[in-house]
Amino acid sequence: MKLVAVTACPSGVAHTYLAAESLEVAAKKNSVEIHVETQGSIGIENELSMEQIQSADAVILTNNIGIKNEDRFKGKPVVRVSAGDCINKGDAIVKKLQQKLAK
Amino acid sequence: MQVINEELVDLAIDADSKMSAISVLAERINQAGRLYDHAGYVASVVERENLTTTGIGFGIAIPHGKSSHVKETTVAFGRLNNKIDWQSLDGENVGLVFLLAVPEECQGDQHLKIIAGLSRKLVHQEFRDTLEQAASDQEIVELLNDSLAGVVA
Repeated sequence: MKLVAVTACPSGVAHTYLAAESLEVAAKKNSVEIHVETQGSIGIENELSMEQIQSADAVILTNNIGIKNEDRFKGKPVVRVSAGDCINKGDAIVKKLQQKLAK
Repeated sequence: MQVINEELVDLAIDADSKMSAISVLAERINQAGRLYDHAGYVASVVERENLTTTGIGFGIAIPHGKSSHVKETTVAFGRLNNKIDWQSLDGENVGLVFLLAVPEECQGDQHLKIIAGLSRKLVHQEFRDTLEQAASDQEIVELLNDSLAGVVA
């Protein structure tokens, strides 16, 4: 399974990166490929490429604040979660996606 | 100059509130000669704290101030003797505090990169455990210097 994700949070200082790291750790643990773009106050880092988005089976977006350039994901299954959930339940989120997509 | 050193680590802070924990650590930063104006710096930390809590969860808080009152990018670390309420995002009390001081004229978003780097590390249980259990100021300094090495210019 391949995933892409974008994390962003109001202050864009800590949670943005905590959520990103948590998702990366959870994905690794479950042998899932993931690319996470962060939209924090440093700006956009690890911007997702079109290839990454195209080959992704699903997209995870944090819902604490608006995500920039969301139209990139049109037509893709999108899961919206809070940054807090990414941090506390990253593993569960990845596992659930695995189940749903059964790949 | 190092971002953190043993003067800036206090493994046994007595504080009964966010403000008092921040004060104790800010005083350390001041003593280390990293500030132009202590009160101005503390005000910048409080202002940021009022925007959104820096209690990021896992019993850790990262209060910070970026202002012209700061001379050098500095990180102070404190372990509280008693956990306190920090209005954390996960509802847990805080026992470990990183106080950051960053100069205004800093190249763009240095403190944000430090916080981002620290945040990423804090997701890892082993890193948090080491912070909880470190027996000496020196251990903490070594741990943090290794982690921040890639971030601070």
